[in-house]
Amino acid sequence: MNLSWTQRRKLTGLLFVMPTVAFVTVFFIIPLIMTVYMSFHDWPLFGERAYTGLENYQELSKDRQYLKSLDFTFRYTALVTPPIFILGFILASLVRHNIPYIGIFRTIFFLPVVIGLGVSSLLWTWMLDDRIGIFNKILLDFHLVPKAQLFLGRPNTAMNVIILSVVWKTVGFTMILLLAGLQAIPDELYESAEVDGAGYFRKLFYITLPLMRRTIALALILSVIGSVLSFDQFYIMTRGGPRNSTISIVFWIFNNSFTYFKMGYGAAMSIVLLAILVALTGLQLYVLREKE
Amino acid sequence: MTSRKLILLVLAIVLVLGSLPASAQDEEINMTMWVRSIPFQTQALVDEWNASNDSQIELTVIPSAEFVTKMGAAIAAGEPPDIASIDLIYTPAFAAAGQLVDITDFVKELPYADTLTPAHMALGMYEGRNYAVPTGVDGSFIVYNIDLFEQAGLDPDNPPTTWDEMLDAMRAIDALGDEVYGYWFSMNCAGCNAFTFLPFIWASGGDVLSDDYAEATITSDPIVRDALAFYNTIWEEGLVPEGASIDNGSNFVSAFTGGNIGMAGMGNFAIPLFTNDHPDLNFDVFHIPGKEGGAASFGGGDVIAIASGSQHVEEAWRFIEWTMSDEAQIEIYAANGQIPVRLELVNNPYFEGDERQMTAASALAVGFTPYTTVYNDLFNDPNGPWLEMLQVAILDGDIDGAIELGQERFTQIMEG
Repeated sequence: MNLSWTQRRKLTGLLFVMPTVAFVTVFFIIPLIMTVYMSFHDWPLFGERAYTGLENYQELSKDRQYLKSLDFTFRYTALVTPPIFILGFILASLVRHNIPYIGIFRTIFFLPVVIGLGVSSLLWTWMLDDRIGIFNKILLDFHLVPKAQLFLGRPNTAMNVIILSVVWKTVGFTMILLLAGLQAIPDELYESAEVDGAGYFRKLFYITLPLMRRTIALALILSVIGSVLSFDQFYIMTRGGPRNSTISIVFWIFNNSFTYFKMGYGAAMSIVLLAILVALTGLQLYVLREKE
Repeated sequence: MTSRKLILLVLAIVLVLGSLPASAQDEEINMTMWVRSIPFQTQALVDEWNASNDSQIELTVIPSAEFVTKMGAAIAAGEPPDIASIDLIYTPAFAAAGQLVDITDFVKELPYADTLTPAHMALGMYEGRNYAVPTGVDGSFIVYNIDLFEQAGLDPDNPPTTWDEMLDAMRAIDALGDEVYGYWFSMNCAGCNAFTFLPFIWASGGDVLSDDYAEATITSDPIVRDALAFYNTIWEEGLVPEGASIDNGSNFVSAFTGGNIGMAGMGNFAIPLFTNDHPDLNFDVFHIPGKEGGAASFGGGDVIAIASGSQHVEEAWRFIEWTMSDEAQIEIYAANGQIPVRLELVNNPYFEGDERQMTAASALAVGFTPYTTVYNDLFNDPNGPWLEMLQVAILDGDIDGAIELGQERFTQIMEG
């Protein structure tokens, strides 16, 4: 084949993106189309299927647990995001400079990220146990509580301890992202600001945060999507309890699809959730856009 | 262009190789079998079978609460086990979906078909055809600690026969010490409480479902409210350990073996465990009473079935038939304290003189099992309406709110 240089260049480019295109097609586009298709059907996990049009979507508004789960998921996201960011930023600031042995601390802070969420959820379940858990042992030994606490058994404490465990698990990842953003800011900017007499907070609000806008946007979007799609921690630590107060939206989709065998209904919920996430991400990108 | 052809060729070869049978010359029959995590004699049966047969069975134990989910996923993926030991209440749902092999013709050939436990046979039927036979027979009853009864000045030979008598006995035992409790329930375990709490309602002549299973009767049947109030009193008065409120069933059996629990709802499956592993535990059993007397039991346990799509239906049936033989029923079931699935074998050398086994077995006579294809969604689902209703009523004390909620969610599920 005789191709001109430009043609070959285009072909090379095409070949480079092909693996990604193939991957996205097989693992995202095709499943997405299938999910949309399924959402218009009464689609049991096994057995006869039937076209039902928009029935699944209409049923959503009558599903009290679906609305409860949406409410719970967004409340959880709103509660878990600030601590992850504030703590992530503090940790990133602490390990920012390349001083001796700093790698040890970076590793320690990042270590929980490497553990699977399922494993960490089990670990926390044991640590929070009322009979053998370390937390109750410490609280009892210091006489901070009169008797062992059922942290995961009470609606008000279950959410809090799950947030605690998730912050521990994910803060390292946010730290790494923010650290990269922090280190990309040239030291000269801080030096000249200091010459001008700027204090810590002035430097933070006029140099650090504005220059980290893109990094923060990325970290925020990843964190919010992760929280909205959370499942493992609730499935393992509380099984949605107590009194079904910790059923996240993905948990409810899982239940409908694989326990109640209503795959079509689960698909409809997934599509609505996707739409919500797209809107939410668009909003975040708009708020955190680079101002010209 | 040649490179594209090469890629296509490689892909084609991979596809062809991948679709070939793993080993065509392998004539050994290997079957898979699933059982939920409940200590029936399944492992002993499979071990014995594998030791004396050419065909081999690989047994996988699935956590009880996840059995339906996993089985459903395996069926949908086209890879169900050959043989499944299924909680009998799920059989209608699987049979209705066409996922079990019709074994009516096999069952007809059994000389003892009429003596197989009726509840299991009924649940194994769908539209007049047999899809499963019993493999683990399990009625619910109350187990009580004789030593604690004596210490509390109660007569262990005359256990309680009404709810009030049960409460009085619990209070007396609870008064024995800080670490001694009158009762145990696993209030974060949906299935445990269908098994041990529903019979309190049935024994009083009530039910949560109408006779034709068409509607929920939670708000209309006053006994449901009374039963919830009965359990709420147990919780309010601290007659159960606080940890009972969050137990997901992992302590359903073991809590009683600590020796500091006066009474607990239990099933036949636990008796061998108690007698073998806890020989010091001095216990007896009585039927679950109604409010003013009477008795009821949940006819629970497992049935055994062959999954649609199995390549080894004949051999799988050969195994199932063997599990019901005299040899297996007496030397594996009865010898290990497990109730035989054939009623005429309850009188066997191993059970003779054991009052507890006879009482436990007689629970099956008052045993009842709901027949509904949405049983899992209603009762056993950890996020289902049954457990939520119990927790709100018993632990939170909001009985009226709980039965309203239960009625509404039951109705929603039953209407599909």
